[in-house]
Amino acid sequence: MKKSIPVARRALLAGAAAALALPAPALAQARARASVGVLRLSSSGPVFIAHERGYFREAGLDVELKFFTAAQQVPVAVTSNDADFGVTGLTAAFFNLAGRGALKIVAAQSREEPGYNLVAYMVTNAAHERGFRSLRDFAGKRVGITTTGSTFHYSLGLLARKQGFDLASVTLVPLQTLPNMQAAFRGGQVDAILAPVTLARALEADGSGRVLGWVGDETPWQLGALFTSPRAIERNRATVERFVRGYVRGAADFHAAFNARDRGRPVQGPAYRENLEIVARAVQQTPELVSVGLPYVDPEGRLDVGDIHNQIAFWQSLNLVGREVSGREIVDLSFVRGHTNVPRG
Amino acid sequence: MSDSPIRFRGGGFAPRPKRGAAVIAFAAALGLWAAAGRFGWVSPIFLPPPDAVAAAFWDLARGGLLWRHIGESLYRIVWGWGLGTFLGLAAGFAMGIWSYSRAIGVPFVSALFPIPKISLLPLLILWLGIGEASKVATIALGVFFPTAIATYAAIDAVPRNLIRMGQSFDLPPHAVLRKIVLPGALPGILAGFRITASIALILLVSAEMIGAEYGIGAFILQAGNLMLTDQLLAGVAMLSALGLAIGTGLTRLEKYLLRWR
Repeated sequence: MKKSIPVARRALLAGAAAALALPAPALAQARARASVGVLRLSSSGPVFIAHERGYFREAGLDVELKFFTAAQQVPVAVTSNDADFGVTGLTAAFFNLAGRGALKIVAAQSREEPGYNLVAYMVTNAAHERGFRSLRDFAGKRVGITTTGSTFHYSLGLLARKQGFDLASVTLVPLQTLPNMQAAFRGGQVDAILAPVTLARALEADGSGRVLGWVGDETPWQLGALFTSPRAIERNRATVERFVRGYVRGAADFHAAFNARDRGRPVQGPAYRENLEIVARAVQQTPELVSVGLPYVDPEGRLDVGDIHNQIAFWQSLNLVGREVSGREIVDLSFVRGHTNVPRG
Repeated sequence: MSDSPIRFRGGGFAPRPKRGAAVIAFAAALGLWAAAGRFGWVSPIFLPPPDAVAAAFWDLARGGLLWRHIGESLYRIVWGWGLGTFLGLAAGFAMGIWSYSRAIGVPFVSALFPIPKISLLPLLILWLGIGEASKVATIALGVFFPTAIATYAAIDAVPRNLIRMGQSFDLPPHAVLRKIVLPGALPGILAGFRITASIALILLVSAEMIGAEYGIGAFILQAGNLMLTDQLLAGVAMLSALGLAIGTGLTRLEKYLLRWR
């Protein structure tokens, strides 16, 4: 990992540069540096857009993107100082790290919202024939998820509460990876899985199962967040403010381009094509594939704070997150205005 | 000249058992670990102190899940290792004795051994489902190849002159195998067991990636996924203890089987 140059050496370099009589602009452009840990997923779109369109630079920051391959790694990288900021989905692992004083949420990433088909509840044809026809029928079934404590696990917990079945009566089968889930689903080893849209479409197309519904339509929730370390907020508040400023401009562009709706139907917003290409380049997929799974992103980075408290309570009720973790302490509401659903008291 | 005897120069290069040393080294490592946490050299987020790991272990034991985890893992290890070893011994003997088996077997082993078993998990799930069969097969696959290699290499190392001697005394082929080849190859085969027992433990975590609810590997995976590092280390300690127990058992077995040396 690249480390930023220490201040003393930077001063020395500046002095040397001056002595060599470099052109003046080279010095004037000295900006603060920051790095952000991201996954190659379209939900990190605001970061890619802000980076590509120079919103971070205009906010006075040189931002380096550090790519990771699993959601778990990003909060770990921020904890270990390998990245200053991170954007990913919220999982039980995230709250366990945050609860030990290593992380603070400062703004929203994507959200499950009605009309956004991102994660499907899928049943196998065999289970469907045996009477697994609606979202109320989960009790007593075997359901494949990636891992205990994942976003899929929480989505199913929310569905259990909404549809009135007992989550404890569902056998959750942790299969670790999407290919494993796909294999178990095709082989009829599980009755249902929660599948990201691309996987759901593939399974539908080859006739191995059907979609019962979408998480966003059933149970909207705050899927992901932008976070940093409490140390960074204490020592370098200005940097965090600048980063959030650039990030929120990216989120606003993302929202305008991709979240435009005309009587419920998706329409292409301003600069749709350019922004789609920026995101597609960053996630290394074709624009067509990316356009199928674009999530809802709040244009001002506002969080559904109540849902974050609810997530922590859910994990605590399953004994997967420590009792000492508190929603109040791991969210810093001061960087973005107008957060919604803020618990009182 | 004859009254000054030649000094005996032999010595060393013969490790003798030193009982206390391992215990002291282990205690020192544990002490250093505890001190690193106590004096704040390392943040507990990165390395939970030994007492936190012990507490996680105690929680597990008190909840009654400990024996369930160990029991399910032992079942998979015993069956997976047993099956892989049985088939590996058969293949290894065939490759050690018959030219055609070797001509066919060696390239197959070379081609298939380096495949990471974890990359085959989706296929194993399709073929064998997500029950015990695919987990046992994952471990058996990992154990089979090194056993086959160790066995045929051990047979190659049996001194040819002993075999020729048996043959010149008109021993029938099955007696040559049973009385010369098998005992001669046994040290090499048992050394192979040491390696494959460790491989079985390593593959346990991969095997339990396949929808296992209980088992030491499943426990470690879940702790990692939840970032509960104290539980993670408690699970790793369980694996180490299991490895130590198996190693000790193998030493006993070696002493018994090789008592003729």
